[in-house]
Amino acid sequence: MLVKFFATYRQITGCKTCDVPAPGSVLALMEDLSERWPEFRDLILNEDGTDKGDDVIIMVNGRHIEHLDGVATKLTEQDYVAITPLVAGG
Amino acid sequence: MTRGNGWIGTILRVNLTEGTIKKEPLNMQDAKDYVGARGLGTKYYCNEVDPKVDPLSPENKLIFMTGPLTGTAACSAGRYEVVSKAPLTGTIGAANSGGHFGPELKYAGYDGIIFEGKAETPVYLHIDDELVELLPADDLWGQGVHPVTEALEAKHGKVHVATIGRPGERMMLYAGVMNDKNRAAGRGGMGAVMGSKNLKAVVVRGTGGVKVANPEKFMEEATKARTMLRAHPVTGEGLAALGTEILVNIVNEVGGLPLHNGRDGSYWDKADDTSGERLVETHLVKNQGCFGCTIACGRVTKIEGRGDLDGFGEGPEYEAGWSYGAACGVNDIGAIVKANFICNEEGMDPITLGSTVACAMELFEMGAIPESDIGFPLRFGDAEAMVKLTQMCADGEGFGNIIGLGSYRLAEKYGHPELSMSTKKQEMPAYDGRAIQGIGLEYATSNRGGCHVRGYMISPEVLGLPVKLDPQVTEGKGALLKTFQDLTALCDSTGICLFTTFGIGLPEIAGQYREAVGSDETDEEILLKGERIWNLEKRFNIEAGVEKDTLPPRLLREALPSGPAKGKVNELQTMLADYYAARNWTSDGIPTQEKLDELNLTY
Repeated sequence: MLVKFFATYRQITGCKTCDVPAPGSVLALMEDLSERWPEFRDLILNEDGTDKGDDVIIMVNGRHIEHLDGVATKLTEQDYVAITPLVAGG
Repeated sequence: MTRGNGWIGTILRVNLTEGTIKKEPLNMQDAKDYVGARGLGTKYYCNEVDPKVDPLSPENKLIFMTGPLTGTAACSAGRYEVVSKAPLTGTIGAANSGGHFGPELKYAGYDGIIFEGKAETPVYLHIDDELVELLPADDLWGQGVHPVTEALEAKHGKVHVATIGRPGERMMLYAGVMNDKNRAAGRGGMGAVMGSKNLKAVVVRGTGGVKVANPEKFMEEATKARTMLRAHPVTGEGLAALGTEILVNIVNEVGGLPLHNGRDGSYWDKADDTSGERLVETHLVKNQGCFGCTIACGRVTKIEGRGDLDGFGEGPEYEAGWSYGAACGVNDIGAIVKANFICNEEGMDPITLGSTVACAMELFEMGAIPESDIGFPLRFGDAEAMVKLTQMCADGEGFGNIIGLGSYRLAEKYGHPELSMSTKKQEMPAYDGRAIQGIGLEYATSNRGGCHVRGYMISPEVLGLPVKLDPQVTEGKGALLKTFQDLTALCDSTGICLFTTFGIGLPEIAGQYREAVGSDETDEEILLKGERIWNLEKRFNIEAGVEKDTLPPRLLREALPSGPAKGKVNELQTMLADYYAARNWTSDGIPTQEKLDELNLTY
C-alpha cells in the first residue's frame, strides 16, 4: 500500500512515499509509522494514541478520514494514504 | 497630527488634469461604518463615481486607502487597498497589498489618496511628510517596476514606491500596482487605471506615527493575536517554512488542482514537481515578511544555471505556481519561477496571465487558434513557449497583446468564450469547483470575479479550519460562505493581512479594531460592517450592469474524468439558493430593501 508524505513530514521520513503492507486501519498505520519513525508519534497521534493528532491531515484515496470512518477507516493494498501536517496557503 | 484612533484624519485628493493637490479631512462617519481600506475606499468610490463609468477614462477615479490598523502594532498590519472600477471585469475593483507602502503613507500623515482626472504627460506623486508634489515621470515611462523603484529610491532616499510597469502604461486589462518591488495589488487591472491617468508611481516617505485610542488595551489585544499566530502550526511554522505553494500536493490529493485549463480534470501526476517542497529544494533563498508580520510567508527566490531563465526575485505564490504549472501542464519549476518574475517585474497578474496562456493552449490544440497568429506552436507542457508568451505580453509584442486581453476576451475572439475559466471575466484561481463545491460557489458570487480571497472556502473544505466540511457536498456551504465573505471584507478593511485568519478569528480581529478606534461595539456589530461592505460592492456591481453569479459551463456540465472527485460537477444552483437565503437577497441575487435598511446602506 502506498503512503505519501507531504511538507515537513518528508524531513522526518527522508522520503516522499513508502510502500507498506496494508494494516487493518488508519490507526494501525499511524502506529506502524510511529514505530518506524518515532518522531512521528507526537505529531500524528493524540496523547493517548487513540486518535489522530489535531494538526495532521490524513487522506485515504483523496478523501479526508473525517468523511470516512476516521482512524477506524479500513485499508486494503489497493488504497493509498496521504499524510501531511496542517498547512495553508492561497 | 494624528487623531489618535488608528486614523491620521487626512486624505489627499489629487486632480491630475488640473495638477492640484488638496488635503481633506477623512470622512469619520464613513470610516466608522465601512472600517477602512477595502470598505472605506469602496464607499468613497461609490459616493463619487458613476457605476457606468468607463474605467479607463479620465472620469474614473483611483483610490489608495489604508485601514485603521495599518501601520500599528496590530498583527501583520501592513496592508492597504487600491480601489476603482476594474477594467478586466467591469465590477468594483479592490486589490489588497502588503509590504511597507501602506504604513509609510500613514506615517507621512495620510490615510488615503484619491486620484482624479488624467495628467497630460506622465507624472508621479512624491510625498515626503507635509510635502506633496506631482513631478514629471517622462524618464520613468517605458521602464519596468524594478528599475523605476530603484531610480526613485536613488533620487528620493529612503522611500517606499508603488508603481506600474509597461503593461500598466499600455492599459493592459490586468496590469497591477506593484509596491516595494514585488508586492502586488494585483487583480482586476488597477495598474491599467493608473496608466490611463498617466500616473507612473506614488513615492512616499513618512516620519510620523499612528496613535490608537486605548494604547494599553490595544497592545494586550495585539500581543494576544501575535501569540496565537506564533503558536498556530500554519501561521507559526508552515507558511514561513514552506510558503503558500505548499498547497499543491494537498489540493492535488483531493483532486482539486485544475489541469490543462480544467480540460483534463484536476488531478496531476506531476504535481509534486511544482510543489512548495520542490520550490524549497530548488529555488528558495529565504523567507520574507511584510511590515510587522510574524508569519513571513514571502519567498525570496533565484534561478541559476538555466541561461536565459536565470534571475532573482520573489515567489511564486501557490496561485501563480498553479496557473503557470498545472493549468499550462508545465512541470519545469524554473520556468514557473521565471514567468512569475516577469509578472512581478512588469506588474501583471500572474493568475490571469498564466490562465490565459492555458486557455490559449487549449484553443491551439483544438485548432481554434492558428499557429500563424501566435508565431509558434503552443501546446500544453511547453515551458519555453509559456515563458516566451509571458515576455511578449510584458513587451506588448505580437500575440502577447492578445494574451493581454485575458482569457475571456481571448476565447471570445476565437469563438469559444465557454473555454475561459473565469467568472465575471476574471480567471478563477487554483482550485477546481467540481471537486471542492464551496469554492465554486465562492468564485460564482465573488464581487470582483474569479477570486480565492473573497471567502476562502478551502480553509474548511480542505484544511479543516475552523471546522472540517466535506468538499464534495453542498449542504451548509451557502451560509458559511456568507460568513467567510463578511469576515474577509472586515479583515481586508482593517488593514491586517487575511492570512492571519488561519490562526486568529473574529474575536481577535474585532478586539484589535475596537481598542485601536475606541469603539464599544460587539464582535457581531463589527462583523456586520463586513456584511455592509459586501452589500455595497454588490449594489455597485448591479448598477454597473455586471452579469449574474454563475460559473463556466465546464464546471457545471463536464464531469471530472478522474481523481477522488471523479464524476462530479459543481452543484451551483443548489448552493446559490442557500447562499442568497443566508444573505436575505432575492432568489435572483439582489439585496432586498429590508437587508439594505438593516445595514443602513445608502449612497
